[in-house]
Amino acid sequence: MASVAAWLPFARAAAIGWVPIATHPLPPAPIPKDRRKADDEKLLINVSGRRFETWRNTLEKYPDTLLGSNEREFFYDEECKEYFFDRDPDIFRHILNYYRTGKLHYPKHECLTSYDEELAFFGILPDVIGDCCYEDYRDRKRENAERLMDDKLSENGDQNLQQLTNIRQKMWRAFENPHTSTAALVFYYVTGFFIAVSVMANVVETVPCGLRPGRAGTLPCGERYKIVFFCLDTACVMIFTAEYLLRLFAAPDRCKFVRSVMSIIDVVAILPYYIGLGITDNDDVSGAFVTLRVFRVFRIFKFSRHSQGLRILGYTLKSCASELGFLVFSLAMAIIIFATVMFYAEKNVEGTNFTSIPAAFWYTIVTMTTLGYGDMVPETIAGKIVGGVCSLSGVLVIALPVPVIVSNFSRIYHQNQRADKRKAQRKARLARIRIAKASSGAAFVSKKKAAEARIAAQESGLEIDDNYHQEDIFELQHHHLLRCLEKTTDREFVEMEVPYNGQPKRPGSPSPLASPTHSAASHPGLLHACCGRCCGQRYQRSEAI
Amino acid sequence: MFGGKKKEEELDEFNIHVARHRPEELAKLAKTTKFTRKEIQLIYRGFKQECPTGMVDEDSFKNIFSQFFPQGDASQYAHYVFNTIKHNHTGKISFEDFLGILSKVSRGSVQEKLQWIFGLYDLNGDGLITKNEMLDVVTSIYEMLGRSTEPQVDEHSAKEHVEKIFHQIDANKDGVVTIDELVEWCSRDEQILQSLDTLDTVL
Repeated sequence: MASVAAWLPFARAAAIGWVPIATHPLPPAPIPKDRRKADDEKLLINVSGRRFETWRNTLEKYPDTLLGSNEREFFYDEECKEYFFDRDPDIFRHILNYYRTGKLHYPKHECLTSYDEELAFFGILPDVIGDCCYEDYRDRKRENAERLMDDKLSENGDQNLQQLTNIRQKMWRAFENPHTSTAALVFYYVTGFFIAVSVMANVVETVPCGLRPGRAGTLPCGERYKIVFFCLDTACVMIFTAEYLLRLFAAPDRCKFVRSVMSIIDVVAILPYYIGLGITDNDDVSGAFVTLRVFRVFRIFKFSRHSQGLRILGYTLKSCASELGFLVFSLAMAIIIFATVMFYAEKNVEGTNFTSIPAAFWYTIVTMTTLGYGDMVPETIAGKIVGGVCSLSGVLVIALPVPVIVSNFSRIYHQNQRADKRKAQRKARLARIRIAKASSGAAFVSKKKAAEARIAAQESGLEIDDNYHQEDIFELQHHHLLRCLEKTTDREFVEMEVPYNGQPKRPGSPSPLASPTHSAASHPGLLHACCGRCCGQRYQRSEAI
Repeated sequence: MFGGKKKEEELDEFNIHVARHRPEELAKLAKTTKFTRKEIQLIYRGFKQECPTGMVDEDSFKNIFSQFFPQGDASQYAHYVFNTIKHNHTGKISFEDFLGILSKVSRGSVQEKLQWIFGLYDLNGDGLITKNEMLDVVTSIYEMLGRSTEPQVDEHSAKEHVEKIFHQIDANKDGVVTIDELVEWCSRDEQILQSLDTLDTVL
């Protein structure tokens, strides 16, 4: 039986609310109440055709599930003396095995959502999945959940597009999505340009540009063209300050914004300049001043707003924090061990470089990462043996966590690609759904005309057609409901302009328009057409039986 | 490796904590409502198909409702109907609640039906229907029509309708409609009483 049709009684009951305000009296019921259908419930198929047999005790092992409790009586078919479930027989096999063996298995080739639905239907918690299949199940579930979150976030983002009221929100949206307006795009490129200029200036500043007057040594460009670089720096910092203040103004949650990574980078990028203005060119503090200038290089991180790949890289590193931590920890352990051994091996060599264990750290690091500068070299045999072992183990220790990081990065990167692709696909999908809805509306109007013709025939005394199929009754009553709505509001449904452009049919999409010449009995009813996306598949399955 | 615990906990939040609900026995339901065993079986199968966990939340309710009114937007009317069904604090309704309301509204006495209708229009539950409340409900009914009607629906259609009908129901012209005025209005017109009956469904 069509499942959504079973909700029709409720929709019709809810329509009673229209009665007091109806402008016209509602049309009479299409089917007289005392007439019941002859052959009710000829739904005599077991889990969609496949018969399963089991002992009653087996089912009653788990009394808190559907099959083990009284709830299964709702699905009992008296005529065939069997229980009928209109569900997937392949998955049902696993569910029945749970009752038999006590272990629930998850078949790897099944879709996770359909499996979850079956479990929910039969009242079984996914937590009882056996250890053999549990890992797989959780992994798939996590993937699905991440995808859902992505979809929901992007949906929210799209929804918010229409609800902007004031300048602040508009500015914030322009900052976050530069592709939404030309001004935002201009701003985006201008800031990008100035970040690049600022970084280049920092670099070029230190290039030697000729000889120092009166002293030996070269003069870096920064000191030769001091004024030029200072003006450039000032301009960049002014732009960055303005940008930061604008973002601060537009941010919906200022505290959260101030604590975010990007804003900290912004602050760190512009602060050295202001502090530098405060300090004079004094020798005492010029050391500190030089240190501050180092922080100017952080401006390069501002590019991460402009590049999604950079953001993904940052996110990957964050999500692989535990692997990176392991790498650092194991490296530290190995360094200390090898440095200690090295030191004690080389301690007594004349003029050795290994003057202390910390000094040996440098050698160990250079060797483990296979750099091998050669500034510190072991002389004794023991030292050389240790050095050999050190370099071999270095390769291993570093190679271990790298694949984990790489696979994480790859997964997140591909997810991002997929998210963008899905967003584009969703727009196309929504457009197709809208067209399907339009076509179902046209189908309804044509059905309405056919139904009215039939009722007129009945009223004028022609023979009443007693052989109603089940679909027919529901269709009739559904049409009656829509006619009641027309009468309540004093309006009439009419044909809409349908841009029928022959879209390729997707599995699960509603079947093509019902032409008015088809008789209602041989054709899946209105409910098939209008409940297209979500119920299409179920209808097709039930019709095929 | 270090620091992996938090992710699993976050994941558990993704798993929607669904309360599974099993309804009363079939025989008991057949006794307390006006449906026969066969009819309840039919209704339950459909109910369970749409909501396998046995509880309907407002979103699925709106979804199901919208499928019967393909042209328009039935979500607001579904929202008002949902509010008339007593539900526990989680905002979901069980099969017994659903069946109870169905039995009352489609096969109950005239008094029960009118009581439900009053509850539908009385949005804040204070026992009085104001013009604004009626306007909200009537607007939601007009929304179900959608765009392709003759004559077209615009933003004044609902208001005009309410203007016309409100003062007819409000007998003592005090600006609010009480349950007695509604009963009086419906009982007076034979056609309205008949209409109340036509919306029962044959299963």
